[in-house]
Amino acid sequence: MPTTAPRPDACVGIIANPISARDIRRIIANASNLQIAERVNIVMRLLTTLHALGVERVLMMPDKAGLRAMLTRNLSREHQRRHGLPALEFLDMDAASTVEDTFRAARMMREAGVSALIVLGGDGTHRAVVRECRDIPIAGLSTGTNNAFPEMREPTIAALAVGLYATGRLSAEQALAPNKLLEISINNGERRDIALVDAVISRERYIGARAVWKTDHLSAAYLTFADPQAIGLSAIGGLLQPVGRRDPHGLAIALSDEPATRRVRLQAPIAPGLVSEVGIAGWEAMPAGQAFSVELDAGIVALDGERELPFEAGDRVQVTLRDNAFPTVDVARCMHIAAGAGLFHHPFRHA
Amino acid sequence: MAATNPFPLGKDALLNCYRTMRTIREFEERLHVDFGRGDIPGFVHLYAGEEATAVGIMSHLGDGDRIASTHRGHGHCIAKGVDVIAMMKEIYGKKGGCGNGKGGSMHIADLSKGMMGANGILGAGAPLVCGAALAAKYRKSGDVAICFVGDGASNQGTFLESLNLAAVWNLPALFVIENNGYAESTSRDYGTAVDSYVDRASGFGMPGVTVDGTDFFAVYEAAGEIIKRAREGGGPSMLECKMVRFFGHFEGDAQTYRAAGENEANRAHKDCLKLFAAQVTGAGVISASELKSIDDQVLGLIEDAVTQAKAAPLPTAADLLTDVYVSY
Repeated sequence: MPTTAPRPDACVGIIANPISARDIRRIIANASNLQIAERVNIVMRLLTTLHALGVERVLMMPDKAGLRAMLTRNLSREHQRRHGLPALEFLDMDAASTVEDTFRAARMMREAGVSALIVLGGDGTHRAVVRECRDIPIAGLSTGTNNAFPEMREPTIAALAVGLYATGRLSAEQALAPNKLLEISINNGERRDIALVDAVISRERYIGARAVWKTDHLSAAYLTFADPQAIGLSAIGGLLQPVGRRDPHGLAIALSDEPATRRVRLQAPIAPGLVSEVGIAGWEAMPAGQAFSVELDAGIVALDGERELPFEAGDRVQVTLRDNAFPTVDVARCMHIAAGAGLFHHPFRHA
Repeated sequence: MAATNPFPLGKDALLNCYRTMRTIREFEERLHVDFGRGDIPGFVHLYAGEEATAVGIMSHLGDGDRIASTHRGHGHCIAKGVDVIAMMKEIYGKKGGCGNGKGGSMHIADLSKGMMGANGILGAGAPLVCGAALAAKYRKSGDVAICFVGDGASNQGTFLESLNLAAVWNLPALFVIENNGYAESTSRDYGTAVDSYVDRASGFGMPGVTVDGTDFFAVYEAAGEIIKRAREGGGPSMLECKMVRFFGHFEGDAQTYRAAGENEANRAHKDCLKLFAAQVTGAGVISASELKSIDDQVLGLIEDAVTQAKAAPLPTAADLLTDVYVSY
């Protein structure tokens, strides 16, 4: 049975990417732009909820894009109004306004002993966190462009689930779920990276504005899971051969625009508001641990929707699915267990 | 060279872009030195470090497309094709300059190139761009008008009013926020209620995109999509380019507001010219010696510009009464 006694030293980290949902897909596909003020509102809701459950220490990634500045003003206002909030500490790091901030914040929060990380961002932001920190449970909140990995959910509920786990009211067995990821290796590990949802091979060969939206350049897609309701490149798999988030395998798809090799022509929402045709040459299940070699000579590997790893003729590119690779807070399960066990029947007061 | 070109521009175009960026850089580095010696009248605000943004955007424009620049306008002028020697003469306050030596650094203009002028008044370019964009829309020319503003100037009422006007009239206008992190010496956190500039675009119902302004190819690709949208009648949008400036707000600025080592770190890791060179040479499309050859040619051009500027005559008292009125 879960304990109802909160752990007094519970500490939670928040990594909120201030510049997710800002890329060229605002122009190409009318993708949404979650404003800084809304991101701050989300963090405020997280803080008040965590406080209600007895989490009294929260660490947060600093930034130079406005979150910290606005949040600081809001916190000052709330403290004046004597509203209860956890102690919020910004990590002692200089913000570079690049993905390096997320890498560094994830490492620092891990070292500081946070019980869980709440991440605000899209697939790319979550990938950056997991790349640096695979053993701290993540609760993801969708504030990006493609949000296949983080589930759409009111942040208050995610914070409740995180609070239940962080304070020890729910155990790891009850609260957490394992996830798959893709490992990408070029030339036997000379360059390595990961993807949480999709690693897509494109004939484009420069990083540029990063986002991938030209389907006629695509050569192959490797997916950890494929949800028919997903937006992004994994939607190709979701509408072709769905694969569950917890299934033991992934999906490898060969893409082709050539009539000679194309078996299926598929329409898929590869970005918000952008339904594009892709040609499918074939697909197969991707068992965990088996390396798939990329056939394209020269191109780029897009990781979770962003062009990241260019490769040239002669480079050996391999993609391998790993299961049980990192934990997430299973918010739905947490809330069901908590409701069933009556954990919300008592006031959440802490000592 | 056997390598195929992975970039969205051919080799000649890539070399031209590099040449333009290098020209801006050397122009500004030379002004830094000459201003320090007391050779130059007035004030100069240098664009060094920000070249990828000007060139990445201007590579999509023709002479019919108009831009309004800022007090930090040399880079925009050069990227828009304004004659470098005439610019240098203007900055030296000499006859033969873009304004016959009467405007100086902050008033360089060349309408034949679509360059409506640098501007000493922060945020003043935005209404001008609405006018140019309205003219392009009225004439159905397919041209666009682009306003450059710094992160500080984007707080000006003129700028915000212009966003509204551009959105209401669905103008082929692009508002580029050159975000180098400082409004003169004031950090953004201190002086801006909402630090995200693209959020302001949302407030006026237009899309906004943030891009790494130190990466030429990121700017080039994003600007290309935005400009194409505007030419097709898609209306105004905003592009925020996050960048660094290598010098102070103005020449003579002690830069006490910067963290220790910030300038050195920027030059080491965020130099858009070095980043561009690494990409094109790494892909095997352009050789280091080809870039070096351009570097040498540009140095020669700048030296020639300074020599000609120093040798040119000063305006006379009689010149004060010329160029005051324009006949339409």
